[in-house]
Amino acid sequence: MLRRKIHSGFLGVFHIWKLEMKKIFRDEGIILFFIIVPLAYPILYTSLYNPEVLRELPVAVVDNSKSALSREYIRKVDATPDVSVQSVSVDMPAAKRLMMEEKVYGIIHIPSDFSTNIMQAEKQAIVSVFIDMGSLLYYKAIMVANTDVSLQMNREIKIQRKSSTEREEQVYAYPIEYEHINIFNSASGFASFLIPAVLILILHQTLLLGVGLLAGTEREQSRFNDMIALHKHHRGTLRLILGKGLAYFMIYLFNTAYVLFLVPAFFNLPQLGHTFDILLFLIPFLLATVFFSMTLSTLVQNRETCIVLFVFSSVPLLFISGISWPSTGIPPFWESVSYLFPSTFGINGYVRLSSMGAQLHQVKFEFIGLYLQLVFYFITTFIVYRREIFISQLHKKHHWSRLRKIREKANRTFAKKPL
Amino acid sequence: MQRKTSHISAFITLVIRECKRMVSRPLYFFGMIFVPLFCFLFFPSLMKQGLPKNIPIGLVDEDNSSLSRRIGRNLDAMELTQIVHQYESVSKAREAIQKNEIYGFMYLPVNLSKDVKAQRQPKISFYTNNAYIVPGSLLFKDMKRMSELTAAAVNRELMYARGASENKVLATLQPIVIESYALGNPWLNYSIYLTNILLPGLLGLMIFMMTVYAIGVEIKDNTAREWLSIGNHSVTLALTGKLFPHTIVFFLMGAIYNIYLYGILNYPINSGIFPMLLATFFFILASQAFGIFMITVMPSLRMGLSFASLWGMISFSISGFSFPAIAMYAPLQAVGYLFPLRHYYLIYVSQALNGYPLIYAWKYYIFLLLFILFPFLTQGRLKKALIYFKYIP
Repeated sequence: MLRRKIHSGFLGVFHIWKLEMKKIFRDEGIILFFIIVPLAYPILYTSLYNPEVLRELPVAVVDNSKSALSREYIRKVDATPDVSVQSVSVDMPAAKRLMMEEKVYGIIHIPSDFSTNIMQAEKQAIVSVFIDMGSLLYYKAIMVANTDVSLQMNREIKIQRKSSTEREEQVYAYPIEYEHINIFNSASGFASFLIPAVLILILHQTLLLGVGLLAGTEREQSRFNDMIALHKHHRGTLRLILGKGLAYFMIYLFNTAYVLFLVPAFFNLPQLGHTFDILLFLIPFLLATVFFSMTLSTLVQNRETCIVLFVFSSVPLLFISGISWPSTGIPPFWESVSYLFPSTFGINGYVRLSSMGAQLHQVKFEFIGLYLQLVFYFITTFIVYRREIFISQLHKKHHWSRLRKIREKANRTFAKKPL
Repeated sequence: MQRKTSHISAFITLVIRECKRMVSRPLYFFGMIFVPLFCFLFFPSLMKQGLPKNIPIGLVDEDNSSLSRRIGRNLDAMELTQIVHQYESVSKAREAIQKNEIYGFMYLPVNLSKDVKAQRQPKISFYTNNAYIVPGSLLFKDMKRMSELTAAAVNRELMYARGASENKVLATLQPIVIESYALGNPWLNYSIYLTNILLPGLLGLMIFMMTVYAIGVEIKDNTAREWLSIGNHSVTLALTGKLFPHTIVFFLMGAIYNIYLYGILNYPINSGIFPMLLATFFFILASQAFGIFMITVMPSLRMGLSFASLWGMISFSISGFSFPAIAMYAPLQAVGYLFPLRHYYLIYVSQALNGYPLIYAWKYYIFLLLFILFPFLTQGRLKKALIYFKYIP
């Protein structure tokens, strides 16, 4: 008895799965979200950031010192990969004008006492840099170039002074040396930092949109605006959810392989992770996202409204995940809100597994979080589907009883009036 | 034959008709009011610290001398960083980074103190994680300064002991020093840098979508012909009447974020608020016009909305406020001019952030207005679509 029940249950799941697959591949709109967007969007998005770093940012120089040392400084700054000296201006107003015309993004001002101060070693020589803050990367490029050049010249100046009279005091310029090591994303690439998070978000959002579109279509096609059309195999809520979920999950396994493995390889993004660990991590991510999407899909009333409802959320979801603005700076309230979305755990887990070579046990928090979401959203999906089925049945019953009444009425009328 | 009504009365009928439609569908409320207001509150609230404080870092102190402990204390006292844990080895600290417990750490090698005394020039290292680029870069700044100070501290004390003046000491240890002026945003406030563009960007996204939706749904519900006939069969009149109430609502939203950012949160507004309100208004018109263009090119609601979301989302990247446009591939830089947000961003930098004279930004205002040409040039196609296009699900 039980065996037969399980057997028919499996058959039911399989049947629903087949129906859902057919529906997906016959609908251009769904193909757009489930196949074309996941295929094209990662390429488009990564190309935007693919140059990775800002190089040769144009800057202006105002050289009031006009000395061998100031020219050396300018030459060295120009030689850095970060900035390129676009023009040597006569005075500050001229340089400022270049800035207003967006020809340069910063001004390096070398004072008239630059060379004398270095020679006499009584006062520091101060180089002022003025930076357009339209982008933080302008600031970074100009600061890195100037700091590096100043440190390098400081070292050389000290070595030269050593041979002169001040030898005694210069026994060792730097008693302690220091070095900086960028572990992970060592080139500070912008694509390497942002794209892994965006890729996860693309999977998350297209799944949400596609499932929403399916639900909206179903409602539109149904006579009573119901999300679930009733027939034999729809009697079991569990069968319905598992069958549909399985269809989405399978399609997204393919998408994931492409989006999270092929695309990063194609663009040379850091991939330090162990493929097996990443796959193990992605299974609960995909399943949690599937059930999350199925739960939210009940909100979709019309076929196209899901786009208006869901697309904007990509931006808040990216920022709430803590990939850009660090999670330690996120207020506790928003941090707890972020735990509602599979994207938060997905982004943080994937970035650390793939870009930072972490092992599965090091992303335990995210891994468990995703499993909890999986259970939670499975239950909510069950509840909302149960409710939708109930509403559907009610509509159907109501409809039948109305039909019956009409028939009875008709019968009565005809009975009274013999033919 | 139906007598043609005057344009003015047709316009008023259209406006009233659209207002009724907007009130009857909750989606309009959601897209035009709820989403913008939510985002206006969300982003400044998320980043209200401005600069993230107390970024957790680690320390690997293999020396454990009074010198190394002093370095640790100094590092902890820096504004942005906070040492949350001491690790016994570099590999343990590295694992902590992979667990996201810390964003970087400093490594003080064994015999640090002894080597300093023996003048063997030991080396200290600091590690930062740039997979999370914002905390990584901020740590870099603090740790570099700390290392500079540490490196020079021993010498400084030696020279002070010999009676050198402070100027002399500084000039000896660091002959050239950089003074930086971050114009407009001297605090390097991250929220100022992002929010100013994220908010109009999201508003623009919703304008694209709601414009496409409002027109596309007429085609879908087969009411497009009726709508056109109320507008005396003029596409221009029909569109103006229909989208006028949208413009009002969106401009209200635009004014709200301008007042919130510049009036209440006191973000830099060196140009006065008027140029930004004007930019916001032009930006809204440009986005609406481009929205009309989208549904003209793709008259099916689904494709039109997909176009709108693609364009709206790419706006954030291609406008170049996070990753500068000048670093992008040349063709993509050129395509950027087809995004209203790119021009808004350039106006914002020139006006609000830097307070330059309006003459340097006027061309971007004109560019925004040029977007209005798009629907005019393609209105024949839209008219055909309104009359003949059949909704295919």
